[in-house]
Amino acid sequence: MPDMRFAPPNPLRIADRATGLNSVSVRSYNERLVLSLLLQNKSTTRLEIGERTGLSAQTVSVLVRSLEHEGLVALGAALKGRVGPPTVPIELNPEGAYSVGLSVGARQTDVVLIDFVGAVRFHKTFANPAITPGSNHTQFLETIRKAVALLPEKERLRLAGVGMALPHSASDGQDEEAYFIALQQEIEEQLGIAVFVQNDVTAAASGESMFGVGKSLTDYMFFYLGAKLHGRLILNHQIHNGNSPVSFDVGIAALERELARDGRSVDALWDRSGTWPDRDEIIQMWEARLVDEMLRSLAGVSQFVEFESVVLSSYAPYSVCEDICLNLEAACPSIKAIASNLKPSPKAVGAASLPFSSRFMVK
Amino acid sequence: MRTVLCYGDSNTHGQVPGGTLLDRYPYPQRWPGVLARELGSDWYVIEEGLSGRTTVRDDPIEGAIKNGRSYLRPCMMSHAPLDLVVIMLGTNDLKARFNQPASEVAMGIGCLVHDIKELLPGPRGSCPEILVVAPPPMLDDIKEWEQIFKNAPPKSRELALEFEVIADSLEVHFFDAGSVVGCDPLDGFHINQRAHEGLGVALAREVEAIGWK
Repeated sequence: MPDMRFAPPNPLRIADRATGLNSVSVRSYNERLVLSLLLQNKSTTRLEIGERTGLSAQTVSVLVRSLEHEGLVALGAALKGRVGPPTVPIELNPEGAYSVGLSVGARQTDVVLIDFVGAVRFHKTFANPAITPGSNHTQFLETIRKAVALLPEKERLRLAGVGMALPHSASDGQDEEAYFIALQQEIEEQLGIAVFVQNDVTAAASGESMFGVGKSLTDYMFFYLGAKLHGRLILNHQIHNGNSPVSFDVGIAALERELARDGRSVDALWDRSGTWPDRDEIIQMWEARLVDEMLRSLAGVSQFVEFESVVLSSYAPYSVCEDICLNLEAACPSIKAIASNLKPSPKAVGAASLPFSSRFMVK
Repeated sequence: MRTVLCYGDSNTHGQVPGGTLLDRYPYPQRWPGVLARELGSDWYVIEEGLSGRTTVRDDPIEGAIKNGRSYLRPCMMSHAPLDLVVIMLGTNDLKARFNQPASEVAMGIGCLVHDIKELLPGPRGSCPEILVVAPPPMLDDIKEWEQIFKNAPPKSRELALEFEVIADSLEVHFFDAGSVVGCDPLDGFHINQRAHEGLGVALAREVEAIGWK
């Protein structure tokens, strides 16, 4: 074998090989490994990265330096431990990447702009766009343009992409995955921005895992309370059986019917201001039916897997979710039920997490 | 106990800026001494700084003994097992007599890294961790050294990038000394006591950040 040692080195630092986030260059698998660890944990160390990836200390050092040059990670101040040398925490740089998330609901479209650690920098609610006849996608183009315009000019280069969360009904009877891929490609072509489309409940679950109370949980059952109740199972940080269309009609739409039957105003239910009607008998009965349905799902799933945590996500007020969680825990003491803290729109934040997971994480 | 070899030139030897070969900072003030103090009793720090040492070049004036490549092997063999080798060289390769661009100096560093990987002086015959340190860039005014280091200052400012390129492609640790300290204006290319302190502390943090099991 010829002696390759003295061939000229690659003329660029590893850090210089990627020219900004929008380059098409494929991020190396090892870099994705490191970023996955950081997106799953608040902070890590070079030692921990080495232990969890099996990469050598020198390789980890090159990777971290490269990500640091690129502005994606930042080093924290050294922490003195009780034993051993001080450790230097490695964290994501919040300004390292941005993402836009759109969630198309039954009545309105929520748009958020989040930074690399999931903090919501902007939030807007638009009326649902009207569908243009003969087109698949034009109704989204203007909304996406408006959303991208939320990002200051100089930060646009750090936009990882746009994530869209669509309800199952959007695919209108077609195969959902094929429909989403086609839509994604059409919008990307039109706007020149990386676009990622996902089922809205699955998107909410991935947002929960990346930025919400699900971050520290390896396995949990995720419930989304919207017009209906939806469930997803998360095993080893992976959302299992992604796009199940099954939902239960015990959600906010059911409550709306109950209240309307009683001649009460239902506007507050769809309002994002966070003030719901007083917790009277109708609401309590609705909560009880909801908890029953959740218990049935849990009982079904627990035949196959053991888990200790349930996360309930909704745009309904936090106090309502907390009440439901307390009732659930009372009925099933072996599990811990946690109300999601992703605000203001869990589905839109989840949608915004999609570009991050696609571009920076290992599958 | 872990062992680190600090392999360098006059700036590792601790030569006083503007002084002669006989003027040397005492051990606690030289950066390897500072490193030893910062790392604590778990580490054994070996100083190997020779004034005028090059990366891989026989010096036609000062003699072949200044060639950092020929001495590195026996040096590592005498001190093995080594957990870490820190290399801070390159300034002397910029002397006019060698007429080399910064990239060639970096290639010299690459040779030393290959030699370490070949010799395997680490614990149980493993490869030690290798930390390439780019020397702080020279100042423009290098006093009476101007002829010897003709045209060297601009090249010295390119060393950090060239060294990082080599360190990346060979997958070893890298640190730019110029990011924390500068040379002393007394002669424009030696570091003073304060810089030794700053460099020793910064390198200690780098060594710790490697993450030792």
